[in-house]
Amino acid sequence: MVVGSNSEPRRLLIIDDEAIVGKRLNQIFTKMGYVVEAHIDPVQAVAAAEQHPFDIVVTDLKMQGMDGLEVLRRVKKINPRTRVIIITGYAEMDTADAAFSGGVFDFIPKPFRLDEIKDAILRAVSDMAGDG
Amino acid sequence: MHSFWQIIARFFGRTDHHNLDPRQVFERFRTVLRSNNRALEIIADLGEKLSGNYIFDRQYIGESVEELITTLHDSVVALNHLDPHHQELFAVHTRLTEHLRAIMLREDDRQGPRLVSLEEVDPLQWSIVGGKNAHLAELIHHLKIDIPPGFAITTRTYHELIEYNGLRSLVDQFESLWILGDRPDELEEVRLRLEAALEIAKPPSDFLEEINQQLAAMTAKTPSPFTLAVRSSAQEEDLDFSFAGQFLSVLNVAPTPRAVFAAYRRVAASLFSRKAVDYRHWLFPEDGKMSIGAGIQIMVDSLVSGVAYSTDPGNPGGETMIVVGTWGQGAGIAEGEFPGDTFLLHKGDPATIRERNLSRKASGLYLAVEGGLIEKPLPAELQDEACLDEAQLLELGHRVIQLENYFKRPQDIEWTFDQQGRLFILQSRPLLVPVTRDLRRDLIEALKHYELLVVDRGQVAQQGIGAGKVHVVRQDTDLEDFPDGAILVGRRDSSHFVRVMHRAAAIVTEIGTPVSHMATLCREMQVPCLVNVHDILSLVKNGQEITVDTEDRRIFRGRVKELLAYQLSTSINLGATWEFRLLRRLLNSVARLHLVDPLMDQFTPENCLTYHDLLRYIHETAVITLVNMGKDERSLLRHNLARSLELPIPAGIMIIDIGGGLAPEAPTSQVPFSALTSIPFRAILRGMLYPEVWHRATMPVGFHDLMSSMLSVPTDALEGQYTGHNIAVVSRNYVNLCFRFGYHFNIIDAHCDERERDNHIYFRFLGGATDLTKRSRRARMIAEILTAFDFNVRTRGDLVIARASNMLQSEMERVLDILGRLVGYTRQLDVRLDSEAAVDYYVEAFLMGNYSVVSDE
Repeated sequence: MVVGSNSEPRRLLIIDDEAIVGKRLNQIFTKMGYVVEAHIDPVQAVAAAEQHPFDIVVTDLKMQGMDGLEVLRRVKKINPRTRVIIITGYAEMDTADAAFSGGVFDFIPKPFRLDEIKDAILRAVSDMAGDG
Repeated sequence: MHSFWQIIARFFGRTDHHNLDPRQVFERFRTVLRSNNRALEIIADLGEKLSGNYIFDRQYIGESVEELITTLHDSVVALNHLDPHHQELFAVHTRLTEHLRAIMLREDDRQGPRLVSLEEVDPLQWSIVGGKNAHLAELIHHLKIDIPPGFAITTRTYHELIEYNGLRSLVDQFESLWILGDRPDELEEVRLRLEAALEIAKPPSDFLEEINQQLAAMTAKTPSPFTLAVRSSAQEEDLDFSFAGQFLSVLNVAPTPRAVFAAYRRVAASLFSRKAVDYRHWLFPEDGKMSIGAGIQIMVDSLVSGVAYSTDPGNPGGETMIVVGTWGQGAGIAEGEFPGDTFLLHKGDPATIRERNLSRKASGLYLAVEGGLIEKPLPAELQDEACLDEAQLLELGHRVIQLENYFKRPQDIEWTFDQQGRLFILQSRPLLVPVTRDLRRDLIEALKHYELLVVDRGQVAQQGIGAGKVHVVRQDTDLEDFPDGAILVGRRDSSHFVRVMHRAAAIVTEIGTPVSHMATLCREMQVPCLVNVHDILSLVKNGQEITVDTEDRRIFRGRVKELLAYQLSTSINLGATWEFRLLRRLLNSVARLHLVDPLMDQFTPENCLTYHDLLRYIHETAVITLVNMGKDERSLLRHNLARSLELPIPAGIMIIDIGGGLAPEAPTSQVPFSALTSIPFRAILRGMLYPEVWHRATMPVGFHDLMSSMLSVPTDALEGQYTGHNIAVVSRNYVNLCFRFGYHFNIIDAHCDERERDNHIYFRFLGGATDLTKRSRRARMIAEILTAFDFNVRTRGDLVIARASNMLQSEMERVLDILGRLVGYTRQLDVRLDSEAAVDYYVEAFLMGNYSVVSDE
């Protein structure tokens, strides 16, 4: 469960305009040893990623200022190796299709259990390890 | 008040659906069940989110509440479709829905009574009495802890005060400036105006009179003269945040309505004091709505008082508590103005004293004759003496541990011993432990040094971390000696665990589900809980110390103090979130069940206080409507659906299949047992056919005559004789069985499928051929037997009504089989019940399975 014990800890960015999502995920993944940054403003979040890229980005879909698909495009441009997980209360199939064609790693409908997101993040981490 | 008979009349007086085909009646009943189930699912889903095991947002809460409101409405419509006499439920739905909408708008604190006695505070009133009062009420009910008697002034009164004094628009302005957050000068100006206006506010009409009534009630119960303490109880105070010292307390107030009101408005004004507003802004920058209640309690004439921290904040994972005390009143200690004696106690079982640090106490605070407190020099012999002796410290230590176990987090407690040496708790609120960066960084490293007993096993019923000694519960009696602060480890989950939940650090079970009643109770009481932890009973031993971390589904050997410290620093944030607070308030008004007993007078629409109550009422009423269907013989037979049933006993039953109750190839008459596919009816018949229950082997003299009276319609119908057919209306999962056995009338109505909450059994028995005394004895006999099988039973004369619900299908089948045996066993027993002792004899024989006694004699 614990990552980064021998190497640099993985960097995790969480973007959701409802603050509770970032607060809670921050709590969980900090305890697991990740370096976590949580934002409610997607524009600021992407700006933070430009400063110092993240390994994994968890983003809401519908947000003021920038939607999750745009976040996906931007962070992939900054670092193509970043794994992006989209979380949303509006699980629509065509959005999901668009997300997957844009290179999203996973798509999780809200509300979800902690082990679902933990599982997705662990899969993303091992997927990245496969990149070499 | 409705009498029992009015209720029976309400349930039995109606046969309006007699023109309906029974298939239609049943289909409409199914529609009620479907919509009720959907509503209960939404409530359960919302409840599960409180466990902390989910990520959810406001959108989810809003959508769920809207769906719930619609679904409840569908249930009311469906019930009225089944029986149109329940139009009043629309008004109940509207009333409850308005309350939910008020919660969503954060305006639920404007409803309810003005004043409530602390002893009578109901959980539904928690949001209007304020956090501090709510906690005190819990202490009275759950821990039997002494608190000074008194009453609460609710937040509804605060809103009235605002309206009555023409301050509403100013408050609205304050709230919108708060949310905007970019005009601090304007906010400050409005704050000052509100503070000043409340300090001189006028009492709403009749309010002084209501205070007077509460004071009179207190005077009647208190032998000696008393004064009062008027303390704030803000909405969020004590529930998740300390708000320590943010609002005003007025001490030693004269017990007159005017003096109490004058103190109360100062407390209300302190909601807008500079320091309270700053603190609140730091805590809830996005939530400007606020209100304040107050607690009016008898002022204790204190010998010694002080503060206790159930955990040393400097060592948050450790087992040390801190007690600070001084002579007289404790106000100076809480404000840090007076030196006090400091005691460190080890939180063992029992607690032990580790350290005493005494200081010179030159003076103390005491009650002043003119009101308020006065500082008096202390006599020389008291100045250097410890203010608490060993017995007092241990008594206090025991209480402190109880409070921490109950609230599941460290507590900051104000306490006092009166002049007679009686301990009172004045307040218990969460102790905030500051988190340091080091704590998080060190956690990962520290955890490597602890042995893991369980990794990634089980399901989370409630998030949290708990450490303590294992107490294995294999049967209910193991709960008797459950130690304070232990970890309950059980084979399967049980709602009986509720008895020790307020003392348990965590619960772990080998079998169970996160949606059980126990899980719901764990969420309500915030007991960390893991279920379905395979093999846990073989991994831990009684008395062994373990730490359960449900967040990561792991269990460590020993006490992991780093994890406990980490938990303290983070869990409070979660509870503080707007979403969790909203969800808790919603569930408090949705999920609680007050209407538990359908046979009680209180089982009326007016007494539905929550959606759960309304759902329960609808379900029971729908069942009764179904039951009545079977009563109406003529209507049932009119549809030409009845076929005769061929049984090895002469029970003479007609059967009407309304869907899947008979095999497709079943003949149109003389239907054999083997062609029956109705699960509940087969179960009943199995019981009736059980060897010896129908006393076929040796029939007593006259049996044939009696039997003929049962199966035919006599021409000289006696008064009270029930004539007609024995009819069973069945589907695959349903039976409505009506026996008109000559002199008695018996209904069994049961629904039985794989969903526990769909299932019910309704049993009704009336009459008999003998005199009323013997008939009543039979009623008592049936009642005692049914009670032994966990039915909810009510008797009156020779009438017995029994109900059971929410059972697993397998359990349903077992109980229906028993009912079948009972029908046979008791059929003519009233003739033999010539004494009360005979009743006991036949009850005992039945429970022992010794059915042959009815045919032996």
